[in-house]
Amino acid sequence: METGVRAMVVALSVGPARVERFALPNGLEVQLAPIPGSPTASVWVWYRVGSKNEWPGVTGASHWVEHMLFQGSPRYRKGEMDRAIVEVGGSLNAFTDNDFTAYFSTVPREHLGIPLDIESDRMTRATIAPVEVERERTVIRSEREGNENWPEFRVDEELYALAFQRHPYRWDPLGYPEDILALTPKDLQSYYRRYYGTRNAVLVVAGGFEAGALARDVRRRFSPLPATGEDPKVRVVEPPQRGPRESTLTGPGTTPFLEVGWRAPAVSDSHAAAALLVDAVLGGESRLFATGSMWGRRTEHPSARLYRRLVDEGLAVRASSEWRPRLHPGLFVVHAQAARGIALPRLERALLTEVERLARDGPTEAELAEARIKLRQGAQLAYEGASRCGFRLGYFSMLGSDGFEGALLRAALRADTRAVRRSARELFREENRTLVRYEPSGASLDA
Amino acid sequence: MTRESSDPLRVEGTRLGNGLEVFRQAPPPAARSFSATFVSAAGWACDGELGGLAALVSATGAAAAGTRDRVALAQVLDRHGAVLTHHCDPESAEVTVWGPEESLVPLLGLLADVVLAPRFEREDLERVRRQLYERQLRELSQPESRADRALLSAVFPPDHPYAKSGAGTHESVARVHRADLVRFHERHVTAAGGQLVLTARPGLATIARLASRGFRDLPAGSEPAARPVARAPRGKRPQRRRLSMPGRAQVEIRVGGASIARSDPSYAGAFLANEVLGGRALLSRLFQNVREKEGLAYHASSSLEAMRWGGYWEAQAGTGPERVDAALRLLYAEVDRIRHERIRGPELERMRESTIGELPLALETTQGAHELALDVAYHHLGETFLTAWPSELRRLSPESVRTAAAEAFPDAGTVTVLAGPIRPLSGGAGAGSTRVHAHHIHTHK
Repeated sequence: METGVRAMVVALSVGPARVERFALPNGLEVQLAPIPGSPTASVWVWYRVGSKNEWPGVTGASHWVEHMLFQGSPRYRKGEMDRAIVEVGGSLNAFTDNDFTAYFSTVPREHLGIPLDIESDRMTRATIAPVEVERERTVIRSEREGNENWPEFRVDEELYALAFQRHPYRWDPLGYPEDILALTPKDLQSYYRRYYGTRNAVLVVAGGFEAGALARDVRRRFSPLPATGEDPKVRVVEPPQRGPRESTLTGPGTTPFLEVGWRAPAVSDSHAAAALLVDAVLGGESRLFATGSMWGRRTEHPSARLYRRLVDEGLAVRASSEWRPRLHPGLFVVHAQAARGIALPRLERALLTEVERLARDGPTEAELAEARIKLRQGAQLAYEGASRCGFRLGYFSMLGSDGFEGALLRAALRADTRAVRRSARELFREENRTLVRYEPSGASLDA
Repeated sequence: MTRESSDPLRVEGTRLGNGLEVFRQAPPPAARSFSATFVSAAGWACDGELGGLAALVSATGAAAAGTRDRVALAQVLDRHGAVLTHHCDPESAEVTVWGPEESLVPLLGLLADVVLAPRFEREDLERVRRQLYERQLRELSQPESRADRALLSAVFPPDHPYAKSGAGTHESVARVHRADLVRFHERHVTAAGGQLVLTARPGLATIARLASRGFRDLPAGSEPAARPVARAPRGKRPQRRRLSMPGRAQVEIRVGGASIARSDPSYAGAFLANEVLGGRALLSRLFQNVREKEGLAYHASSSLEAMRWGGYWEAQAGTGPERVDAALRLLYAEVDRIRHERIRGPELERMRESTIGELPLALETTQGAHELALDVAYHHLGETFLTAWPSELRRLSPESVRTAAAEAFPDAGTVTVLAGPIRPLSGGAGAGSTRVHAHHIHTHK
């Protein structure tokens, strides 16, 4: 270790300097994070609804409703939300996850009232007009088709479909193609009415504003909304996996790859903190606490085990791992893309051997020290900018209660080699494993 | 004592003794990080016979440098909570380090190592070579990259650097030896044509001192000669290429052609015209008409890539095979409108104010601000360019925007590419480059 580097490690503090938290009588949770000097303000509304709340026949409904919330509400006709935000130089978008749906706008701070007005209008009164639902159907089909062009999407979809036989994590938030064709405006309207509303949402605002004045403004805009929206318990429990599962997909493409998933703990599980460290040791980083962009990942981690074993030795051109924290038990996924001329069985053997070695022997003290530094330093700049701040505050509020992020990070930093080895053993059991290979069917295929 | 600017919209510059240009921009007030980029002239236009050489130099050089092998280098970055990225394009190569502001001095030293003393270790070269082989294959197999490549290779002559992807061929990459990397580095990574751009708290004088400490040994080199780049032909007839890629779900559509360089006097007008056409997310005509009004595609946009030596424009969308014709008709119609019709006052005003209003968003983070500084430095736009940009946009009249659009999106030489699950044209050539005339739809009366 280089001299002086240890001293660089900052004291552990995660999150913005100040967050005002309160709830309105109608149940809406509010978090305000003023950032002195910030030229922008970012408004995020997080709903505790995602594909976990769907069932066969209505898969993709959460995502489709997300699209429909841009298609009109009483004060903003179709297209007017986009115009209102973009005309002042702002940006807006949304995304749907298995566990939640988030809407966000970032604007120059003097225009903060616009996104607040939009969000308060569409939280309970989105129009969801049948004619717009029909128009959006082809847009959503096109979104799915664009994803299907990528073998990685197909493999990921297959992996979850194979690993989960009952739980809604079985399908992608985009939904099944058949359901995209069959869902009706009524389906979407009732889905929206059930899940959207003040009781099932968290409003996060970060950026350049005075918290007291903004709190009054938020109360004025959102307090009149009715107390609606529910977050019903997902009752489906995935039964234990009784043995390894595997599948081989073929299709267009030129480089074979494989993805292996092990049934993994939910974010509230006692093994969650160790899973962060396993991710950092094996793949080189943890997505939750990674230096870089808001939600991006780096692929080059030369000190990580998978990299050394697979990339350095010429078996793969890239190799990564990911434990994505979820509300329900999910998957710990390892991905490896074969190098030219390397057959998948060889890559597969090497990958599984490396994972088994970690499960058997655990990490070394040096590896764990390195992983702790990565987590700790990765959290350091994670809140820079109003948009990132709004994202992280809201994201962690979907996963746990106040202070959850710090608690998770502290638990990870406390975990020792024995604890991580125990968790790795529990995680990487053979009977918990699902493996999907992708064998390209040919070269460029152009005619 | 020099006054230190705290305005992220000012990009101040100076020059070191060896000729290296150094630029400094203040980070956003609430930011706690810095970003530093070294830009060299070592883009893939310098590849010569060894296609892929610049990409190999860029990636291998950023892996290990000075006294640190790649593991040691990665560990230093991790311990500072920093990220090192590299990027190579036809005209230049960049390496950037981003990290906490208190780590500026050691990380700037690390950047200097990467620039001046790359180790080019054989193991790293072999690994990067394998990754480049895979990239070559991937570019062939994905409709998006196939469409992009086909467009540029139809727009520009084969020897033009913009026509290439920079990844070379399997044969050219296989022929590269370590000595080639060293030679390429010695020749092209020099102070002449190089720039160091920092978005950091210390003032320009301090930055220049720090830069001098790290980069004073950078050879002066000789100013790169004007490159003998063949001009893209502008008078060609329209072309259409259909790349049948069975098994894919969606067709990627590209319509584009050669365009202006960044230094062209009509750039501001052309920039605004592109925003109206498809550059401005959500507000643009392509997004509104192709997606919002007709529901034909998930993505529909346009871009204007104005670089130092020239540029190109493209309008694009991705959609299912049964909707390709309808989407393509709309793309043609909108491109035609932007070339020939004056943008009406309210629409132009909306787009202009949106563009101007967006500046604060770029200043949310150090990385966002740094992107602006890089653009100002690379194109030598001047210290106050970002401050003056709103006024420049406000001075544009509808007629000047239309004239600029006609120049930047020329009718002649327009290329259309379809890549995805489409039938090849009957009797098409085996190489997949059947050419037919594009049918442009004129919607204006």
